[in-house]
Amino acid sequence: MTGKLTNRTIVVTGATKGIGREACLALAREGANVVATGRDKKGGLETAALVSDLGGACLYLPHDIRKEDDWCNVFAKVTERFGAPHGLVNNAGIFFVKPLADTTEEDFDNIYSINVEGTFLGVRRAFQSFAASKTQGAIVNVSSLMGQVGFPNAIAYCATKGAITAMTKTAALEGAAMAPKVRVNSLHPGVIWTPMITGIFGDDKALSDAFAADTPLKMIGLPEYMADAITFLISDDSAYVTGAELTADGGRGAD
Amino acid sequence: MQKSDSERELAGKVAIITGASRGIGKAVAAKFARNGARVVLTGRNAEAGVATAKEIADDGLDAIFVKADQGSEADWTAVLAYTQGAFGRVDILVANAGISNNVPTARMELAQFRDLNRVNLKGPFLGLKHCVAAMRRHGEGGSVVLMSSIVGMVGVPGYIHYSAAKGGLRLMAKAAALELGAEKIRVNSIHPGMIRTDMTAAFDQTVLASRIPLGKFGEAEDIANAALFLASDRGKFVTGIQLVVDGGWTVQ
Repeated sequence: MTGKLTNRTIVVTGATKGIGREACLALAREGANVVATGRDKKGGLETAALVSDLGGACLYLPHDIRKEDDWCNVFAKVTERFGAPHGLVNNAGIFFVKPLADTTEEDFDNIYSINVEGTFLGVRRAFQSFAASKTQGAIVNVSSLMGQVGFPNAIAYCATKGAITAMTKTAALEGAAMAPKVRVNSLHPGVIWTPMITGIFGDDKALSDAFAADTPLKMIGLPEYMADAITFLISDDSAYVTGAELTADGGRGAD
Repeated sequence: MQKSDSERELAGKVAIITGASRGIGKAVAAKFARNGARVVLTGRNAEAGVATAKEIADDGLDAIFVKADQGSEADWTAVLAYTQGAFGRVDILVANAGISNNVPTARMELAQFRDLNRVNLKGPFLGLKHCVAAMRRHGEGGSVVLMSSIVGMVGVPGYIHYSAAKGGLRLMAKAAALELGAEKIRVNSIHPGMIRTDMTAAFDQTVLASRIPLGKFGEAEDIANAALFLASDRGKFVTGIQLVVDGGWTVQ
């Protein structure tokens, strides 16, 4: 712990498990006050307890990122507890694999409202908060390797992640023109061994070995690696980085 | 001058072009028709759409207009029914329709974001789904062009909703290319830069042109040429690409 985020408050969505939870732990290790949000109260409280075990300050807030009122409530509660936030990790999202012919309009609307509108609402609320509190803020939008390259039977998911990749660039330009400046970057995880994956394919050693074998670095992607990348993009270590796509995928995208 | 059959690259093909009443869509529809395709133009403005289809048909070419909102699934069902009834098949989709306006992110209403993406992002998804189903009926493959933008690749302040749509289309095309390749259905995206159309009429061309390596705005015809390449057999080994037609804007 080098304390590079001491006295900073960072909001992490989808922090009830997986990458979001690990991000909370990594940010807390650097001294940040972390706000773990999400729909699953039990998971959120577990994340908060794990951060407390590290000696960090963590607040869990229930949060459906599709709802504007929830965003207002989260930012109000954060400000009340820790003061205005310095960073937002737009991590919450859902995965979805289905052939085109079976993907209904309802399927599309559902994943779009969470992954795309949820991210938009977060960027908007953070911009408003940073401007009002005159905070030099940072935003990390968690896209995906599938927001950079295609994947079969994932037309809807790829569309939402491509949307996040491109929104990040426009947000970065708008943030660069703010005073103080706000940086916005996207993170592109490859296959990461989280409940998002194991929930669909099962937590199977043979499968994780197969994914590792299929990855140039011959490693399985762990949420800790994403947490390190998020910490970099949120902290001043990336002071000259904005509008960038940080791919952390063990080399899959280069293959 | 009527082209010879050998130059009619889309002879025997049926193409659906959305947002075809004017601008880029109109140029694509006219070019496809001149190259032998039977074209179905769609759009929300019936008066303009009918006039454009008539202009093309007056040259002795096959063109019909169907009033349709790209973001409406019911309208897509109707478009496909009209197309099957009139021409019996579908080979090409150019999902071109799109709307745009400038609002800074901090002041954008969710409704503004959603309305744009219903047309610009969900619309092409619905079109892709319905047209691919029609292409599968004859089993001879097809070509889908999703009209993205350079805004799907680089940022433009005030356009976060448009960025979402155009970035979404870029990846939608790639995912679809992988899923549909085995059926010889090719899916690509085109990324127009600054093109002289109604959508860009309010932009300051003098200032913006100075930022374009080729020194000027493009014409709708430039995009139609790219669409013809991707739709025709000349592009038969091309799928999942992002064809950028921007006078060099994004290479700097």
